[in-house]
Amino acid sequence: MSAPNCLRGLGLGLGLTRPVALRNVAVTAAPCAAAAAAASFSTSAYLQAIIARPKKKAVEVAFGHHRAGKKMKLSKFKKANKGDRGKAPAPGERKAYRKRILLSNNNAIPVAGLQDFAPETMLDPSSAAKVLSIPDAVVDQLRTIEAFKTTQSWSIFRKPSMLVRAETVELATRMQGAAANKQALRLVATGDKLTGKSMLLLQAMTHGLLNDWIVLNIPEGQELTTASTEYAAIPGTANPVQYMQQNYALRLIQNFRKANEKVLVRLMTVFAHPELPQNIPVNSPLLQLANSAKEPENAWPIFQALWKELMAPGRGRPPVLFTLDGLPHIMKVSDYRSATFEPVHAHDLALVRLFSDCLSGAVAFPNGGAVIAATTRSNGPRTPSMELALAQREAEQSKSVVPAPEAFVKYDERVAAALRTVQVMRLKGVSKLEARSLMEYWAASGVFRTTVDEAVVTEKWTLGGSGILGEIERAALMTMRL
Amino acid sequence: MPPRLNIWPACRALTVRSRPLLNQSSCIAAQTQARRTFADNTTNTTSSSRQPQRDAQFNPALVPGSKAPAQAQPTSSSSTSSENEQAIGQLQMLAYGLNPFDAAVEGHKYGLPELPIPSEMHMKHRYDPVVVQITKLLMWDGKLSKAQRDMALILNYLRTSPPPKVDPSRPLVPGAPPAHHLPLDPVQYLTVAIDSVAPLVRVRGYKGLAGGGASLDMPIPLAARQRRRQAFQWILDAVNKKKSKGSGRSMFPHRVAEEIVAVVEGRSGVWDRRQMVHKIATSARANLNHSRLKKR
Repeated sequence: MSAPNCLRGLGLGLGLTRPVALRNVAVTAAPCAAAAAAASFSTSAYLQAIIARPKKKAVEVAFGHHRAGKKMKLSKFKKANKGDRGKAPAPGERKAYRKRILLSNNNAIPVAGLQDFAPETMLDPSSAAKVLSIPDAVVDQLRTIEAFKTTQSWSIFRKPSMLVRAETVELATRMQGAAANKQALRLVATGDKLTGKSMLLLQAMTHGLLNDWIVLNIPEGQELTTASTEYAAIPGTANPVQYMQQNYALRLIQNFRKANEKVLVRLMTVFAHPELPQNIPVNSPLLQLANSAKEPENAWPIFQALWKELMAPGRGRPPVLFTLDGLPHIMKVSDYRSATFEPVHAHDLALVRLFSDCLSGAVAFPNGGAVIAATTRSNGPRTPSMELALAQREAEQSKSVVPAPEAFVKYDERVAAALRTVQVMRLKGVSKLEARSLMEYWAASGVFRTTVDEAVVTEKWTLGGSGILGEIERAALMTMRL
Repeated sequence: MPPRLNIWPACRALTVRSRPLLNQSSCIAAQTQARRTFADNTTNTTSSSRQPQRDAQFNPALVPGSKAPAQAQPTSSSSTSSENEQAIGQLQMLAYGLNPFDAAVEGHKYGLPELPIPSEMHMKHRYDPVVVQITKLLMWDGKLSKAQRDMALILNYLRTSPPPKVDPSRPLVPGAPPAHHLPLDPVQYLTVAIDSVAPLVRVRGYKGLAGGGASLDMPIPLAARQRRRQAFQWILDAVNKKKSKGSGRSMFPHRVAEEIVAVVEGRSGVWDRRQMVHKIATSARANLNHSRLKKR
């Protein structure tokens, strides 16, 4: 055995695998090295020197733990500290950032000659296939009632503008006709994904606001039925028990008040409301009644009082537009549970029941108005009853063969009753003329960087599944699939 | 075995025609014109002196059972419809030996595409090459469609963000458009940002070549794709150290987009990394003609 090898063996024999320990040894073992040089090779002196050390701790430092390899070390599973990450966002801040709606993009070029919607615009068949922008005052009102959605691409244009399609003119005409006859238009807008159902709802609301209608909007049906807002049984109801959603009702009233302030201030109450804690004398403005909703506790009674006032016949009340997006969410059993832990049907929630009664015609609109609902496809639960009812109404309207219910599907009678007499408007792709006018608007905004000619219009129209608006937008505006 | 000498193979080259060959280019048009005229008008306007029998064959007046109203019909020049005239014109061009059918116009509603077909018309190459490369770099766990959504959100963010204020001490890549043009073309915005911070070279160490176990640093030029990859990796490193502002699926792309804006505005730390690499590479230039490297 040669000397260098022996030294290496010495190092190993002492368990000096860690470089720190090796350095310590090199310092402390210096006297021993001289002894080793004098005598023949031996480790005993070295070991004695170590045993003679007074402090046990120092030994541990020199040699490590006596069972170094077997010691449990949890720290190796810990993640490395990434340093100070600062203050966490406040509750609700992240959601607000996610849900914020941007309605303007200063980079987009202002479109010259873009006209605003006027009260009669949507009734005029000649305005079909034109892009028009929403007046600023109406934009604020629409924003208050949450008519704009995060999924719509408002944020890439200078100003919120919409394409008037043939269906828009038809819907506005029907709304106006119903209001003139002091009746309610009861309509469900349905269609495939991205065909513009929510946008049609938005257009109906715009039309209503421009014509001084009272507009009440439930932006998402699912907010009412997914058990995400508080609920309480309404006293005095049984078979079945009904539930009020006070927090939601409060928010609804407040948004409703802000959006319809202009109309509410000149309408006067005609009923005394002794059930309310506040004293609202007869012939005080409706705005005062709406303003009295401050606490969730009395929000539902105030909402009922407001509804009663709006429906007062023969007092010169304006027509009422009641809209809801996401119809399938309220046409099923909700996620709420009763006191006995039974599932609560969505139609036992008082607000949902009001809407479904309006839709079925059980609630009369003596001053005229419209109840419009839109189905949803990308985020909708499957509701066979609603699908069947809508298919049947559609077949009845087009005088074709009415589809029969399937034998092995359990249908919901309450849903069928709610949709027994509604009108159905099925949205399909737009015409090439409409697509062209929209694409010209995009090009004028500087967002769509192509010459808009017949070939391009046809290409995008075809790529967009024969004119499905959202798909055209994907094909033309989005650089990548969103 | 050589083929037998025979007279019969010579016959194969012989062609027997029962009729004389027509001079195609000269007579098809005239003949068809004559037929067209007959379909509209029973009066024979073409001179039938050259081919009297042929014209007589197609004369419907001679077909039994068909009437031949002679004077009731207007003359052929006014009665021929525009389609007919067009067809006659085409035949005439054919007769002159020209091609009357312009493929870019005739028979296609929107004409033919220009050749060579641009790469974005191919399904697999429909996106910009930079966008494709960066999307793949954004991808985690092989989820390309998620990465594509992220990329779409990044581009949307760039589209809606205000025009960047470019720092003159951190100049953008030469040929970049003015800053206020960038937001309306988000793909170019992204490309400009990445190309501006992309390193020109990387430093490669040859282990043990400098003597005494030290490695010998050598600058190696990078291809465009490699440069972009390195730049975006640096951007991603910076993004991963940033704190998320909100929640949901749009937060990661927003952070990436913010970093891209920061790069264009010269605020990003990626510029320092690029500068450092270039500095090392410049000093390592001295090793380019190193003697030991030549021996390898």
